[in-house]
Parts: sequence; structure tokens; C-alpha cells
Amino acid sequence: MDVDVALFAYLSDYQPDGLGGRSARAFHLSQGTTVAGVIADLKLPDQPRIVFVNNRHADEDAMLHEGDRLAIFPPVAGG
Amino acid sequence: MAGPVQTDAEMRATLAASSVAVIGCGGLGSNVAAMLLRSGVRTLTLIDFDHVEESNLNRQLYFRDQLGRPKVEALAETLLRIDPEARLTLVRERVTEANLVDLVCEVDLIVEAVDGADTKAMVVNACMRELPTTPLVTASGLAGLESANSIVTERPCEDLYLVGDLTSDVRAGLPLFASRVMVAAAHQAHAAIRRLLGYVEP
Repeated sequence: MDVDVALFAYLSDYQPDGLGGRSARAFHLSQGTTVAGVIADLKLPDQPRIVFVNNRHADEDAMLHEGDRLAIFPPVAGG
Repeated sequence: MAGPVQTDAEMRATLAASSVAVIGCGGLGSNVAAMLLRSGVRTLTLIDFDHVEESNLNRQLYFRDQLGRPKVEALAETLLRIDPEARLTLVRERVTEANLVDLVCEVDLIVEAVDGADTKAMVVNACMRELPTTPLVTASGLAGLESANSIVTERPCEDLYLVGDLTSDVRAGLPLFASRVMVAAAHQAHAAIRRLLGYVEP
């Protein structure tokens, strides 16, 4: 199945094409892949993050489906 | 959600009847609270565990004669000088996954204004999971000397409003300047006001 994956802020360095930027890239994943599976595949650092699937907040154990749009956003310090 | 409130009287009435929780009363939260109050939001829950320190005075809405006081008490004192009839609930606690929902479950809108990235993520994740119908305004990326124009308000998902440049974390070489922190605070306050009045960010 194909899923669009957008990585925000410093996580964009982990896009496999090395081009950075927050635009979504198409990923081909096996059926049953979860958000956590994508995070593991991309070797994202173990830092605080917020996950959206199809513009809705999602947990990392959420199962992905064909055509989903996954976005992972890492908040940064400062307030 | 109904369309935007139209007349001046309706706007005043809507904001006066609205309640907002401000989680964290530092550079963002202290200034957000004052802007909300000046804009007519008179019911605020202020949450912060900390005390006023000398290093806060360069950007936070505190004064030298308030050093050592709990932030929520010092801020309440200032807010009541702006509006003596403001209805303020003061919570002198550190937010955790265990207490967060109980502290903010009754307000109309939540402003996340804490400093640590891990606490920000915890607040956003817990609020989106447990209180999905309560609008949330969060902030990320406001340190340093990049242009103030790079601080924007976005709506990454339904009722989450995200303010900041998303990348500039506090670290050596990227200190917090009052000017840029207050730009972010003003974005947060304005996003809150717009949402309370029924406007939706693009």
C-alpha cells in the first residue's frame, strides 16, 4: 500500500531521499504497518513528537491504510 | 461550528462568556493571558508550578518586586489591575498526564505555553486524545533572531492551532528575545480569540 509521509522541522532530515523539507513523500509499505513501524523504519530519534493521520491526531500504534497521509511533528523547546 | 460572530456587541458577549486555560505562565503564557484579558476573555485558568526569577524579567509579564512569588499569584495580581472583575482560577502545579485533563476539561479553549519539548508533546497528545472537541493553541519555535515574519499560525489538524517557526529551539546561540517571544504570544492569543469568535484558520 502507498502512504504519504510528511516529516516536520528537524525530522525532515530523515526523509530517505535526503532532500529535507516538509512536503509529503509517497512510501510503499506492507499491509498492517503502524505509525510506530514507519518511525522505526526511518530511524527517527527518540524525541517528543505529535502524530497526525489524515489531519487527525493519532497514536503511534495506529494502523495505516492505503492512501493515508501521515505527518509527524516534533515540538521544540521554548516558552 | 457556527459561523463567525458578527457584531461588536456579539463579539464582546461571546468573549466575555468564554473561558480559556493557559498552561504555563512564562514568556508565552503570561503575555497570552494579558492579551486575552484585554481582548475581553475574562475567565482564565492559569497553570504554572514555578516562581518568578530574575532571568524571567526580560520577556515575561512580571516585575522586580514580584521576584520569588509563585508565578500564578504574581500574574493574577497584574491581571486584576487590568480587569478587577476578571475570574481567575490559579493552579500552582506542574502539569502531568495524570492531572492535565481534570485541570482543563471545563474550559472552552486551551493554550499550551510550556517550555520543554517533552511537556509540549505530552500536553498536545493528552488534550487531543482526551479532549478532542476542545480547541488547542500550541507553540513551537520562537527562540533566536530569525525574522519575526517566520512565526506563523497553522492548523495542522481539525482544532489544533500551531504557532511558531517550528524549528528554533532554545539553546546556546538561540536565546529568547522578548520581541520574538511576544510575536508568538500574540499569534497564540489572536488564534484563540479568532477561534472563540468562530473563525477557522486556513
